[in-house]
Amino acid sequence: MRKDRRFYAGLVGVASVVTWLIWTGISETMVYYLTPTELMARVDGDAALQERGVRVSGSVVPGSHASSSDELLHTFEVFDPAAPDVILTVHFRHPIPDTFSDSGDVEVVMEGRYKGDGVFEATEVLTKCGSRYEAMPEEGDYAVDATGGVKPAVDEAYPGAYGGEGGT
Amino acid sequence: MTELGEYALWIALPITIWGGVLAFLGGRWQRGDLVLSAERSLYVVLALTVVASAGIIAAFLGNRYEYWYVYNYSSRDLPTYFKVTGLWAGQRGSLLFWALNLSFFSALAVWFNRKRNRELMPYVTGTLLSVIAFFLIITLFITPPFEQLAFTPADGRGLNPQLQNYWMTIHPPTLYLGFTAFTIPFAFAISALLTGRLDARWIQLTRRWILTSWFFLSLGIVFGMRWAYEELGWGGYWFWDPVENASVLPWLTATAFLHSIMIQESRGMLKVWNMVLVVVTFLMTIFATFLTRSGLIESVHSFAQDLTIAYTFLGFMGVVGIASMALIIKRLPLMRSDRAFESFLSRESAFLMNNLVLLGSAFAILWGTLFPLFTEGLTGSKVAVGPPFFNQVNIPIGLILLALMGIGPVIAWRRASARNLKKNFIGPVLLGLASGVVLWAVGTRHPYALLTFAIGIFVLSVIVVEFWKGTRARARIEGEGAFTAFAHLIRKNRRRWGGYVVHVGVVIIFMGFAGSAYDREVRQSIEPGESISIASPFGHEYELRYEGLSTAMDPGHSVQWIATLSVLQDGEFLGTLNTERRLYLVQSQPVTEVGIRSTLMEDLYVILATLDERVGTGTDPRFHRATFQVMVNPLVPWIWYGGLILALGTLIALWPGSAVPGARRPGAASAGTGGPGAPPASSPPPPAGGPRRDPPVPVGALS
Repeated sequence: MRKDRRFYAGLVGVASVVTWLIWTGISETMVYYLTPTELMARVDGDAALQERGVRVSGSVVPGSHASSSDELLHTFEVFDPAAPDVILTVHFRHPIPDTFSDSGDVEVVMEGRYKGDGVFEATEVLTKCGSRYEAMPEEGDYAVDATGGVKPAVDEAYPGAYGGEGGT
Repeated sequence: MTELGEYALWIALPITIWGGVLAFLGGRWQRGDLVLSAERSLYVVLALTVVASAGIIAAFLGNRYEYWYVYNYSSRDLPTYFKVTGLWAGQRGSLLFWALNLSFFSALAVWFNRKRNRELMPYVTGTLLSVIAFFLIITLFITPPFEQLAFTPADGRGLNPQLQNYWMTIHPPTLYLGFTAFTIPFAFAISALLTGRLDARWIQLTRRWILTSWFFLSLGIVFGMRWAYEELGWGGYWFWDPVENASVLPWLTATAFLHSIMIQESRGMLKVWNMVLVVVTFLMTIFATFLTRSGLIESVHSFAQDLTIAYTFLGFMGVVGIASMALIIKRLPLMRSDRAFESFLSRESAFLMNNLVLLGSAFAILWGTLFPLFTEGLTGSKVAVGPPFFNQVNIPIGLILLALMGIGPVIAWRRASARNLKKNFIGPVLLGLASGVVLWAVGTRHPYALLTFAIGIFVLSVIVVEFWKGTRARARIEGEGAFTAFAHLIRKNRRRWGGYVVHVGVVIIFMGFAGSAYDREVRQSIEPGESISIASPFGHEYELRYEGLSTAMDPGHSVQWIATLSVLQDGEFLGTLNTERRLYLVQSQPVTEVGIRSTLMEDLYVILATLDERVGTGTDPRFHRATFQVMVNPLVPWIWYGGLILALGTLIALWPGSAVPGARRPGAASAGTGGPGAPPASSPPPPAGGPRRDPPVPVGALS
């Protein structure tokens, strides 16, 4: 059994390396996940929001999306439906997701940095609707036509068709 | 047909529960007639779930929009192919599909064992029926696929355009096959615990099932990457999204299991560990299904927030986990190791390291996926853990794993001597170092990429040397030609050589991942006639000339804007490339269809990002101005080739049949559930002349 010692040292070694990787990984890469209102409230006091970045989710202000075709720059505004008085301007320099639209009721999750001049420079934009595996928002969210008024005629024609579709 | 399907589903549940009860009672009371009855009820359940699934498909094909599920996942214009695959397009159908797959595999396992292993089968059947019952209960009471709307809408809401992709139709079912196939080893493990037959038998019996599950899991993950790469149009294939993570968790634990059972089979060690791993992997398959289909964690994929299903799944996992652990603890005295670890430098130790590293990676991924949930629950503040975390943790772990792939197969059992190490490793290590130096000299400076290539070449050379030594020895002893000797070598121990082929595939996939360190990207807005240039990391330069924009229409379905570009490499014309934007009419959703020009070494990946607002209003070329994002993704094709090699290797190890010339223990042939002629459970020693090592000690003859 004396020979075992090196062996168990090896086990402990691997386990501690993994733990250390997880620990440092979390503390170095974790970002806050805020609403536009929370972001604006905290942005002055917390340098990490400008340096490491932050994740922000909000609803797209209808009609606020503009894109320039010369350089790939998308500009739009987001707000928190629960506290709609704060509006955050977003710049995004990558192809925008296909499911993005400013026709109303589109929620986005963005990763990026707050630039200090009132603009959020997004490096990643994901839309909350038309998710990858589900055809449409299911169950609870269902009444919100998240694809931006896809087929309002049908939706309005069958108001009871999916009402109370929660936990059958 | 659809109504029939719904009735079938309702009938299936009581039969499943009844059969499950009979199986457990039959096992307990030693009543063969009850067990037989339980097994027959399993066949009936299979027939009923087939009818229920056919009912869903019939509802899709018949445009039965009075059904909630069909209304939400189909429309009249949807191509027939996607209507058939509608069975697993959404949560409701896919949980039924789970039950269908599991019933199929269960019936197969019971059929293979109708004449043998009778002492294990009662509890195997009972466990399988219990799991099926759980999924039937969810399907019937929580996510009813046959639920009807109050009205019959004229048309459906259509299938999400991003799911209208070939890879997306085969990715979920492949993963589900992998998930469900793993229930069989789990059921055998539970039966082994209940009956107290805790030798390596249950492992030998389910080895093929484990491999089958692993085969489908691996393919399913690769298919998912392929879909993300082609369809989501951001140039990558992996986003560390919770749903992606969920699919890789059971893969990691199953890979660990696949390796640690070899230690139990040849050395009689790690018995408890293997039990824990099989339970954990089964729980991970359930967890993955749950995560993809419940939306507990916010993900790009799923946003449903119905917590009933979450609690049901968590409850099921809790019950299974606690019951299994209680059983394992109760049987601890029967699972003592036959031997102790002797040295850190041994194959056992390398395999155990591999297990720890794989589980460490799985734990890190699980932790990162659930961390935001915990933090919000405990502190109320929302945080996010994204790709940087997963890369930072998993790249070093992956590199250790890569190195172990080169060490494990050739280090000696029990205790490696200096001679063993020198003989097997000096050449490959030097080759790995040399390739690292060469790559550094030609400009590969990214540390992780450099390490991946150097270690990868070390692993590949270890494997090549193994093949070469084996073939040479066989050619000499049997007097065969090199090619024949090579083929016979693999046939004689397909498990071992198939495993090496899998390793080759994994190395190539890892190198493909490493290529992403050298991705290039250019964004530019141009008019027809103008060009974009982009340099490949391999030194040549691409020029893409925008030839023009055309439109196409798929009536009632979609409208397409197609940009055609000429591709020139260092001035030489290679061909044209189309990249599209489509507007799906039913959903009025635009979808980017990227243009990909793939070579052995790299992909040229072109996204049509935006079109001029005035497009379609005139012939002025300025109206055809378009913004392109052009990327060069080096080595991405290696991921797909590596996936194919990996699948081939798994098939070599898995393939049934009696091609085991000179199998030393003919009795072993009856051991496999996968049919007669399963190869012997323990690796025969290498042919003479191969690397010298201690012969593995076979676990005693099958009881």
